Amino acid sequence: MIDIQSSSKEEPIIVMTRTLDAPRELVWAAFTDHVSKWFGGRGFETLACEMDVRPGGKWLHVMRLPNGEEMRMDVVYVEVTKPERLVWQNVDFGKTTKHPASQMTVTLEALGNKTKWKLVARFATMADRELANRIGFAGAIAEGNDKLAELLKTL
Amino acid sequence: MDALSSTLFALADPTRRDILARLADGPANVNDLAAPYAMSRVAVSKHLKVLERAGLVTRGRDAQFRPCTLEAAPLRDVAAWVDDYRRFWDRSIDALDGYLKDIQKKKKRRK
Repeated sequence: MIDIQSSSKEEPIIVMTRTLDAPRELVWAAFTDHVSKWFGGRGFETLACEMDVRPGGKWLHVMRLPNGEEMRMDVVYVEVTKPERLVWQNVDFGKTTKHPASQMTVTLEALGNKTKWKLVARFATMADRELANRIGFAGAIAEGNDKLAELLKTL
Repeated sequence: MDALSSTLFALADPTRRDILARLADGPANVNDLAAPYAMSRVAVSKHLKVLERAGLVTRGRDAQFRPCTLEAAPLRDVAAWVDDYRRFWDRSIDALDGYLKDIQKKKKRRK
């Protein structure tokens, strides 16, 4: 399971971490080369995957969702620091309010033969800032320390 | 604004989130709700209007007290979004974990 922290009410971010049982170079290769082998997980079919892994390079990923719908992801790499840090963002990051455009930072920390994977998803526009608050709010719900959490369970 | 956007907008403000948390205890009128804040009844009423428009709060008909009641249903969408996000990555990283194990096994076999 992923450890997720979305309780930050100050910053519009979600943080996820997980330790993977593989050396860092291999995890890096999986993120920069073999993405279509795992991205989306079970039930997701990769229809197209074009990656140009360098700052300013694009990553186009088209998937078929388990419900048959197609999902298109259009992102651009912001930072590529092999083998530890990879930053990408939606092509329209900061330009649209239509959907939660975001910037993703993946950091890989070597722990011997294992790797600690950390993902920080940051949301940007005004609408996304509201969204971030919503994330903070939902985070409070997820933590189970809010009266609303109890209330939500009864719905 | 569509329903989701108005929910988002309503939740964007800490005072409004606070009001919702208080209403989770049960209905309250504007005076009760305004008491803990260093703001006027009018200001609190404005926050309540935003919450009402978002469908997060309903108000009674009693002309004098108009008690506010929390309607938590729109919050389900809120929680669902984060959950979708988490699930996407949870599934992806599960698949990545499996893939990493596979290729490491293959490497060992080749040796």
